[in-house]
Amino acid sequence: MLLQTDVAVQVAEASQAGMKALAAAIAVGSTGIATGIAETAIGSAAVGATAENKDVFGLVLLLTVIPETIVIFGLVVALLMLF
Amino acid sequence: MLKPEKMGKILIAAPKDLMGVVVAELHRQRLFHVEDFVEDRDEEYEGYRIGNPLEGASQTSKDLIRLRSVMSAFSLQPEEQKPKEMARASALKEKIEKDLPALEAEVEALVNRRQALENKVKEAEQKIEALSPFAEVPYDLSLLSGYRTVTVLAGHVSKKPDLGVPCEEYFAASKKGNLLIAAVPNAYKAEAERNLMDSQFQAISIPPETGTAKERIAEYTAKRELVNKEIQEISTALDSRKGDYAGFLAACEELLSIDIEKAEAPLRFATTDHAFIAEGWVPKDSVGTVSDGIIRASGGKAFVTELPVEEEKDVVPVEYDNVSFAKPSQLLMDTYARPRYTELDPTLVVAIIYPIFFGLILGDVGYGFILLAMSIGLWMFLKKVGGEAQQLVGVLFIASISTIIFGVLYSEAFGFAIPGIEPILPSRHLNIGGHAGGHGPEIPELMIMVIWVGVATITLGRILGIVNHALHDHGSHRVKAVLANLGWIMVLWGLLFLIWSFVALPLMPDLTGMPAVVLGMSLPALAGLVMMLVGILFIIRESALEIIELPTILSHVLSFARIVGIGLSSVAIAMVVNFIAIGLIIEPQLEHLSIFGVVIVIIGAIVFLIGHLLNTVLGVLGAGIQSLRLNYIEFFTKFYKGGGKKYNPFGTQRRYSEE
Repeated sequence: MLLQTDVAVQVAEASQAGMKALAAAIAVGSTGIATGIAETAIGSAAVGATAENKDVFGLVLLLTVIPETIVIFGLVVALLMLF
Repeated sequence: MLKPEKMGKILIAAPKDLMGVVVAELHRQRLFHVEDFVEDRDEEYEGYRIGNPLEGASQTSKDLIRLRSVMSAFSLQPEEQKPKEMARASALKEKIEKDLPALEAEVEALVNRRQALENKVKEAEQKIEALSPFAEVPYDLSLLSGYRTVTVLAGHVSKKPDLGVPCEEYFAASKKGNLLIAAVPNAYKAEAERNLMDSQFQAISIPPETGTAKERIAEYTAKRELVNKEIQEISTALDSRKGDYAGFLAACEELLSIDIEKAEAPLRFATTDHAFIAEGWVPKDSVGTVSDGIIRASGGKAFVTELPVEEEKDVVPVEYDNVSFAKPSQLLMDTYARPRYTELDPTLVVAIIYPIFFGLILGDVGYGFILLAMSIGLWMFLKKVGGEAQQLVGVLFIASISTIIFGVLYSEAFGFAIPGIEPILPSRHLNIGGHAGGHGPEIPELMIMVIWVGVATITLGRILGIVNHALHDHGSHRVKAVLANLGWIMVLWGLLFLIWSFVALPLMPDLTGMPAVVLGMSLPALAGLVMMLVGILFIIRESALEIIELPTILSHVLSFARIVGIGLSSVAIAMVVNFIAIGLIIEPQLEHLSIFGVVIVIIGAIVFLIGHLLNTVLGVLGAGIQSLRLNYIEFFTKFYKGGGKKYNPFGTQRRYSEE
């Protein structure tokens, strides 16, 4: 009987850890996709602008990475969840 | 420091016949930023007109165009030339008169000849192309055309067709496409063509040649080779001319460009029938040099005076005035926007905090040394070129030193813990491959650490904002703007006090133990709340709309979490590379070393090298761009406007020629 509860607790703990890992994966994965979607539009506009005038390269490179904030928040959430 | 170079406004007035002398002197000094004269803009300049170019401008332009056509025939870039010795301008001018026309004629003749030959090659190639399908046909090509009662059909087919009409045909199967040649009496032509459709017949025109195709192809190929050889000779001749004249041409180009720049300068001056006026800017401490120089050059006939600067009305050109350590960071400033003359120039601040962010993100002794070696190498290489590329390398140099320092503080080298050094900053050693190096990762501590960095940066930004407004605004707006910036600081710190009173966080003051005074709130919590409310009040007084910006207090501080996020991902990649290369590939082989094992160990070493090389590149890109972004978006938006005009003095840096 005691052994059974012990095993049950172990199983529950393992499943909890698994859920945590899954949640972290969803946090990073979904925000990554969101960042990707946001950056496609900016990126193509940025390449167009650079083709017109290559002086703006520095600026558009920056504009392109602005949505990276989203995935970084996802990463932060994931890290806090895991550790 | 923190201010751009002080500028003085100068007005030069002189008789028109001295224009050439004055322009030459200004060009030599390279200090005078010409303020372009615009007709009918200012009342005090009523009746003045834009000047005409100096004499000889059109001849010089013509010479320059001819010169550039020669240079383009040589595909010669003036910047690529290494200046050997300065040529005297007068000697150059003589040479331009004497040698240039002959050289031009020679080059033109060579280029034209080459063009004609190239056309011949193209022609031969087209003929070979047309003949190539018939290369294996054993018949004389002249036999395949020129009949009155018979039509010859030639083309590629997918399989041997059945024409179903009386005809003579030749079929050759090959991988490139099966060739069919069929001579069909005119009466059956339509039917034959219909039947051919089934086997995807693609007609090829029969080249109007005599002899077999093979012979003709050989003949044309020989001809092409001959012409190519001739082209080669001409190219060699052009190259040798290029070698002889490259330095001379670069010097001529520079000289003529300068002459044109000088000749066209009057287009930016205000003139009357007999005199002209030029307005412009020079650095304050060079005002004396410039005016003395002009007066001396004009023999005392020019009038030079310094005008008062009206900071509100004048658009003063901006030149940086930084210590040499901060100079490379000017590039980062120009990428965003040059500061205005009236605001603080934050280059020095950027020069300090950019490397700190970079180091906090990358923080690895190994990568730091790679970057250091790379930047020193590039610096040597770019020393002669100068310009933006060199500034970028300068930024990288400082960033790499910061990376090494933070690498020691994190105790990291290529993802390994440095033996014997305990991390001073919160540890980033992840548990990858089953063996965590030393401590496990201290994620909450890292997060709090970068939140402190964020709070500090944003507070500094707001303080600079207060200074900016206090120095350059006037009246009630000045008070409001200063208080609004103070308000933002108060909201931020009030929020921090509130959080400290309710939650105990590592690396932050713990105020949760204080006794409650009112409504379950302790003294610090109340103080925080009051600070926030007063702060919001200050913000509303300047502009009520700013209220919607309040959440940025949180989001901008949290945005600094990217320092941890990107830093950890870089550490993770490094550790994964180590685990794959050493843990999975090299170590198992070392236990029982065999000849085959040595090969595997070498493969492991290659994986190690490539992995870390890739991670270095990723790390530089990630750390470089994200640090820049933190500067531009989280820091600059608090105080910096930018949009100043670049100080661009009249004149050219001479590299090949001298007066």
